[in-house]
Amino acid sequence: MRQAVRRLGGQAVRTALALLAAYPPNRLSAQDSQFSVRGLGVPGRWESVRARTTGGAFGPFDPRSSVADVSLTDALQLTATAAEATTYRRAEIGGSRDDLRSSRFPFMGLAGPLSRRFVVGGGFATYLDRTYSIVTRDSQMLRGAYAPYTDRIGSDGAVADLRFAAGARFRSWLAIGAGAHVLSGSSRQTAQRIYDDTTFLGTTQTAVVRYDGFGISGSVALDPVPAVRIVGYARSDDRLRTRLGDTETDRTDLPTTLGAAVRWSPSPSARVAGTVMWRSWSDAGGFNTTSWSAGAEVGAGPTPLRFGVRGGQLPFGPGTVAPTELGVTLGTGKGFSGNRALVDLGLERLVRTGGGLTETAWTVLVGLTIRP
Amino acid sequence: MRRAALTAALTAVAALTAATACTEDVTAPGHCPDFCPSGSINGVDTVLQTVVQRDSAFRGFVQPHEASSLLAATLPGVIDSRAIFRTLPIGDSLVVESGTTTMGEIVGVDSLTLALTITRRDTSAHNLTLVYYRLPLGIDSTTTFGGLAGSWTDSLRSLNVDSVYALAGHVDPLRGDSVFVDTTTHYVTVIAKLDSAMAPFVPADSGKVAFGVRVVADSRASVALGSVESGLGPRITWYAEVDSVGKDTVPRPASTSDQFDSFVFNLVSPAVDTTLDSTLAVGGMPVARSIMRFALPRAIRDSVQISRATLVLVTARPPEGVPADSFTLAAHGVLADFGAKSPLSPDASRVATTRVHIGIARGDTVRIEMTDILRSWQIDTLAPTTLALRQVPEGTEFPEIRFEPSTNTGLAPALHVTYVRRFPFGKP
Repeated sequence: MRQAVRRLGGQAVRTALALLAAYPPNRLSAQDSQFSVRGLGVPGRWESVRARTTGGAFGPFDPRSSVADVSLTDALQLTATAAEATTYRRAEIGGSRDDLRSSRFPFMGLAGPLSRRFVVGGGFATYLDRTYSIVTRDSQMLRGAYAPYTDRIGSDGAVADLRFAAGARFRSWLAIGAGAHVLSGSSRQTAQRIYDDTTFLGTTQTAVVRYDGFGISGSVALDPVPAVRIVGYARSDDRLRTRLGDTETDRTDLPTTLGAAVRWSPSPSARVAGTVMWRSWSDAGGFNTTSWSAGAEVGAGPTPLRFGVRGGQLPFGPGTVAPTELGVTLGTGKGFSGNRALVDLGLERLVRTGGGLTETAWTVLVGLTIRP
Repeated sequence: MRRAALTAALTAVAALTAATACTEDVTAPGHCPDFCPSGSINGVDTVLQTVVQRDSAFRGFVQPHEASSLLAATLPGVIDSRAIFRTLPIGDSLVVESGTTTMGEIVGVDSLTLALTITRRDTSAHNLTLVYYRLPLGIDSTTTFGGLAGSWTDSLRSLNVDSVYALAGHVDPLRGDSVFVDTTTHYVTVIAKLDSAMAPFVPADSGKVAFGVRVVADSRASVALGSVESGLGPRITWYAEVDSVGKDTVPRPASTSDQFDSFVFNLVSPAVDTTLDSTLAVGGMPVARSIMRFALPRAIRDSVQISRATLVLVTARPPEGVPADSFTLAAHGVLADFGAKSPLSPDASRVATTRVHIGIARGDTVRIEMTDILRSWQIDTLAPTTLALRQVPEGTEFPEIRFEPSTNTGLAPALHVTYVRRFPFGKP
């Protein structure tokens, strides 16, 4: 039986590896938002479903997440994880309301120890989401009469963060991690005009815009007492280069990220954590952002209960004040076959406001982790 | 047990993922400028006044004897056109009895029926009448209206098409005439009976005969008769008397079609003068075409998406005729620009048409929507940006229209184009 389970686990890992290698980055978007229309887009979340259902507070401590590389040191066996998120959004502005929906695979990761103290990992996560579709109505004086038309400008894609990272535990109370990040992605952009008068033919222009960049990250974890862990992490991304064919159309500096987090485990069946992160998005022409989160995981064994709250700012939006977001999360998990297979489920409620736009979203999260 | 649990879990996750994954709707109304992309779609509407830089007209693409219609018209003050044709011989003898090969010499004829097909007529012209003339057998492609002046003096007979059609069964039992209308094509077949005095059998000619047909009506008359080129040419049936090998004579029919057909015309009005000048002539007879060469701005050819393109032509000389003479004007792309001998493109997307109606006045504009042609020029950058203005089909209508040429500043052919500039992709 054990051999059968191992065989099945091995198949799952191979499937996950194949997905990691082959899945197109433009499906990796974290969550679409109307706030991604202007600027570079909406930053993604580098969290597994487990960490995300704690409001993201457990992200720097979760070996399945890619927030802090040092968390890899807790991956004591080969682990493959993937997440799927389906979001139902409502955008309200100026008295109008639009209901939108989308499904994404925002996160995939793989980690495993090379030795008892040294763990390597990698995977994809969303760095910037660039998915939207905007429809506007207007008219133009053509041949002596106003010709009404509908414009549709859309972008479907994302900038993915391909991470290669390692973590090492030097002492029982000290561990460090470092990573390299290749930013790569594309968005299929469309500009379409359809005239009401069909004697004017509609026009559709499409282009695949490609993005690339590079970043490095480092983190350290301290356990001053066995029940408490403190993590500090930093990341620096150089620039995002935008290319249309062989032509560079834009080059934008990317932010520096600084974060800190603390986790307290008062008992084996209860953990609470909080984190704060600052990013210098003004380097990219946006607002510097500060994000925070707090969450807890209660219950030992294979079916814990997770919940959390998060808040912060978005880097791009109209006006002089950064848009804000606030979210609450709830989730659980279930282990199978001696925790070789983990299924995490979560629900997230998110509210984003800024520039007169209020965007609310329900997101259903499904995560799958395999430990062969 | 564990394996079953793992399988169940993976199945449940796959089902949940599949149930929620196949959903996508990210389209929302834009609230500009705050929540719209920085770039916008820029539409432009402009008239290119000097886009046609070289043009010329050529005549002779279809001669009367090559036309798919025999044009007969009596338009007082404009034109007088008559159909002419010569039939094939039937020989000097016919089979005496069906099923045998015994031949008997033709010793006389009882009568002859002549069938003509009217492929186009003006339904507002009442009492449409065909007038038949006997012509000399020597008619050919060089025959002119004036050259047959002597033959037009005495007609054999006339046939009122409307009157015969009004009779029971559309048959005139007294004169042996009949009229049939094809309910699908609306072609009118007119069968006239000519007796032996009108159409005597001349053994020396082996039954070859030549006729001319004139058309008249209460008002201006203009019809098109089917020609041999269209497969609807004149057909005759001889009802001959054959020597039954010294015993008696028997009546035998023998049908034949025409060997040559054409039409001759007398230009009464200078408005239908066939002499070419600097204007852009289209249609008429012999058929004229005009070649127009476009010098499109590079930006339009390379960098924009065209929503609509309209060729605007100013009438320099309007066509004359009856309303039924209205015709289709085509702007036809060419495969190569060899002037008058430019081969026309077989690609349907490189043909744009419009209808030119009789009654258009000098100075009126004729517009041809040629969006597809311009789009094809954008796709195939090696294609010559040359158009042939022509009548479709050629040689089936008499009227000729002429347009102002590119050398006439202010009235030159223009291109009204509506397009969208290239979107600034790749900008945040």
